[in-house]
Amino acid sequence: MATTETKPGNGKKINLPSAEDLTWSWSPRSERESGDAIVTNFFLHWFPAKISKRSIATSYSFWLGTISAILFLILILTGVILMFFYVPSVERAYQSVKDIEYAISFGRYLRALHRIAAHLMVAVVFLHMVRVFLTGAYKNGLFARQNRPLNWWIGLAMLLSTLLLSFTGYLLPWDQLAYWAITVGTNIAKAAPLVGEQLRFFLLGGHEIGQNTLIRFYVLHCFFIPAFLTMLFLWHMWRIRKDGGLACDDNLALNQKAQDAKPATSKTYSLLGITSGRTAHVEAALVDEDKHQVSSVPNLLKRLLIVGLLTFAVSSLFAVLLGSPLEEAANPFVTPNPAKAPWYFLWLQELVTITTIHIGKFTVNGAFIGGILVPGILLLWGIAQPLLDRSSAAATGVWFHPERKIHNAVFIAVCALVIVLTVVGTYLRGPYWHFFWPWEAWPVHPPRF
Amino acid sequence: MSKSEIKPETGGERKAESGESSGRRRFLGTAGAAAVAAAFGIPVIMSVRSCVPNVLYEEPQRFKIGGLDKFTDGPTFIADKRLFVFRDKNTFHCIGATCTHLGCTVQLVRLKSGEPGNDYEFQCPCHGSKYHADGVNYAGPAPRPLPYFKIEIAPDDGQLVVDMSQIADRGWRLTV
Ligand code: FES
Repeated sequence: MATTETKPGNGKKINLPSAEDLTWSWSPRSERESGDAIVTNFFLHWFPAKISKRSIATSYSFWLGTISAILFLILILTGVILMFFYVPSVERAYQSVKDIEYAISFGRYLRALHRIAAHLMVAVVFLHMVRVFLTGAYKNGLFARQNRPLNWWIGLAMLLSTLLLSFTGYLLPWDQLAYWAITVGTNIAKAAPLVGEQLRFFLLGGHEIGQNTLIRFYVLHCFFIPAFLTMLFLWHMWRIRKDGGLACDDNLALNQKAQDAKPATSKTYSLLGITSGRTAHVEAALVDEDKHQVSSVPNLLKRLLIVGLLTFAVSSLFAVLLGSPLEEAANPFVTPNPAKAPWYFLWLQELVTITTIHIGKFTVNGAFIGGILVPGILLLWGIAQPLLDRSSAAATGVWFHPERKIHNAVFIAVCALVIVLTVVGTYLRGPYWHFFWPWEAWPVHPPRF
Repeated sequence: MSKSEIKPETGGERKAESGESSGRRRFLGTAGAAAVAAAFGIPVIMSVRSCVPNVLYEEPQRFKIGGLDKFTDGPTFIADKRLFVFRDKNTFHCIGATCTHLGCTVQLVRLKSGEPGNDYEFQCPCHGSKYHADGVNYAGPAPRPLPYFKIEIAPDDGQLVVDMSQIADRGWRLTV
């Protein structure tokens, strides 16, 4: 509500901010009002004023990027609260996690939500990458000054950070699962050529997994990696604006150009006066506004809210239903049997197992091939992809464009392989990493000494 | 504003300066950039270096594991050191229980139809490596045999002392 106040002295009236200034109108009465919301609202100013119908359609993006961002937000909020209770000390870590589970009000829910959101985030970020690949969205389309390959690379870095976040979070409960996952993980790092030994020493803060390791992973998990990921996220979003929105808009503009060569409606942008060259936004005006675009307020905003609530509801539901397991306290002397990595690393564990090659007496360690070489090659291939892809701009922002048939086929094959390895690792491996069918009973553990 | 518009002004200014002065300007510019780089770079290097520990509070590599009578014939697992100690009447040897693949603790498994001397083997839970009783790897991803460590008898109280920093040959035995 706008309040006016009389200033003493000259009697001039000044306006104090009203509630509408701080929030926005849910149902703007005019285009002007909906545009104003974007410009004046701190939380909304990073959205475009208008957005193409196609880019907010579920069938194009499945909202996967948004969902991962919301999961990240949930992770930050729950994580910060968990920091009040968790003690990163070898003696107390396990007990403090038990306290969270059993003594703290809603602690069990908080921890489960944190854990499930992390699992979901790995899955959703991966699916988001799959979506971007299959729609060829890492390619520049039509608009000026685009750099979608750069955003693809930022995305790859974000995927890696997400995996690292999960991995570093894994050690913190200091239970059996944690301890052995880190043992195996850091030994894979050791298999890196030349620097492996030092790398492991640096990661562990010594030769063995101990207090130094725990505090190291704690600080990485709670500060460095999230901060890095936040930075990348902001850059990622900024690039999307600079690239003129989602890649499907490129395609829209291209098609429209082919349809009718009528000159684009000329627009006045105040930025034009002080920057050189054309910006993606001016080019975006090529998209016929009336036919294909809607105002972000309320269209984008409403969908965002729905996706956010759904994401939160689904992860909450999973959290309540599944809870989070806590194994026995870490015991460096007994390895659980089988010792399995979390599901998103199982394909690597499986690779590490099956890639050891014996040539006579000489053995090539699978830790190197499966743990470093293959993931390294996959990563390099991902980085090189925008340079390898020579398809035309018409293949940008379209699902399964025929010009990109081979690229998509190869990518799907690799993804399928990763999924197959994950499934084998999850369901078909038992004690001593022997192969078992799911309906086969595992043998009773052989006698131990 | 494009660069070509700016050029005439600054170009004119530059020309007015003597060569000496523009050389000094370039030098100061480089020095300034180097100072800024150093101001940010050195603390970064220092911070990374500080994460490499100079002092470790880890368990010693050489320790006592108990008197001779603690060990019966055959294998004994010393859990807190991840070692197997084997006694054969009056000879001893010691094999590390850390898998050479990725560091899990191997387990000793009785073989059902083992002849004497070959009635057990080591198996690793993580990725299924297998080792013969003498520690030689024969299946799974393990790249090397399990290590043998030297054992001695402590002169003061006669306990066995293991030195995990000293790797021994496979044939190595302590005879008492
Ligand atoms: S750690 Fe033993 S097989 Fe991998």
